[in-house]
Amino acid sequence: MEPILEAHDLNKRYPEFSLTNVSLETLPGTITGIFGPNGAGKTTLVKLLAGQIPADSGTVRLFGLDYQDNEKEIKDRIGYAPQEHPYYPDQPVAYTARYAARFYSRWDGGLFHRLLERFRINPEKKFRFLSAGQKTLFSLALALSHQPDLLLLDEPAAGLDDAHRRFLFDTLRGFVANGEKAAVVCSHVSEGLDEVAERVLFIDNGAPLLAAEKEELLARWKWLHFRDNALDASLLAQLKSISRHPFGSAGLCDDFPALREQLAGPMAAGDVKVENARLADVLIHLSQGG
Amino acid sequence: MFITLSPSSPEPMYKQITNQIRDAIASGDLAANERLPSVRELAEALKASAITIKRAYLDLENEGCIITRPGLGAFVSKIDRGRLRERKLEEFRLELTRIVKTGAKFSISADDLVRIIRGIKEE
Repeated sequence: MEPILEAHDLNKRYPEFSLTNVSLETLPGTITGIFGPNGAGKTTLVKLLAGQIPADSGTVRLFGLDYQDNEKEIKDRIGYAPQEHPYYPDQPVAYTARYAARFYSRWDGGLFHRLLERFRINPEKKFRFLSAGQKTLFSLALALSHQPDLLLLDEPAAGLDDAHRRFLFDTLRGFVANGEKAAVVCSHVSEGLDEVAERVLFIDNGAPLLAAEKEELLARWKWLHFRDNALDASLLAQLKSISRHPFGSAGLCDDFPALREQLAGPMAAGDVKVENARLADVLIHLSQGG
Repeated sequence: MFITLSPSSPEPMYKQITNQIRDAIASGDLAANERLPSVRELAEALKASAITIKRAYLDLENEGCIITRPGLGAFVSKIDRGRLRERKLEEFRLELTRIVKTGAKFSISADDLVRIIRGIKEE
């Protein structure tokens, strides 16, 4: 299967920040999540992927094309929703939509208006009077309405209430469901996008920390809660982020299947309990240099 | 004592705590007159709220498992362990019901299960 998006060894240097050696591949039918703490370089990476800024080195190819030769075609086929909204603040949102419609060959005005209605956004309202969540939803509506083959969404859950967040997740799953399109979203994990992403890329300080299939990652990373003296020293040495308290201790393990046999006894005796880790646990551990 | 809270459990947090402390008393892990951690200590360790811990302690006190002495803390009371054992037996009965019924679906008889249990005991 041909990847929809391929990025290799991307580098971008700013006076105070650099993005270094980030690679990413997105296959049709998948949702990729780029996660990292504040200031990790998520927005810079998405801007590079969306062709908003040029990389200092490295390559980006979308649909097998590169921005240098096919910028117009690529941009027609990607739905990029930036975090900072570039829309006219004092114009009604319908105006921005008419403006955007001229740039896209597959613009679907009917879809756009249905989405606005669903989001309860009055098309005559000036953009700057929308709430933070509505601005995010407006961006999403614009990105979806020109029927792209790839969605590139920068913090798409920012400011959304629970119901709209669920709508966003369902929309993303539906978007990639026919196996031909793909989505790349970036977020700090707590917004809940870790639920929908199948492939995850963690970045921090502009550098990649880890790239993995989410299910594989979460099958390996588990929290172990254990009674004092229930684990021998060699097992204990393999745990990370250990916290001790008088009523048992807890630590993260990064390869549960490998430890399973050793843990079977203490687990059966109730001296060790295993809990699923969340992506946020893994990311916090890795970004804090464990 | 070993207490953990499971966020994925359907049991509310205060119940997870009362169950584990009651079990620790029933199994002898906690002895009569032993002092329990303070509400604050336990709340901090389990990352739970003080209200949750207080609720758990209150329930345990109403059951007669612990006694709180104002200013001194909570202590394990001299409870009849036989009564706690009865309660545990009832829990086992429920768990075994589930296992026996699941076994029946796969034509695993009660005798098969008994053989398995004997086998585990001999290990």
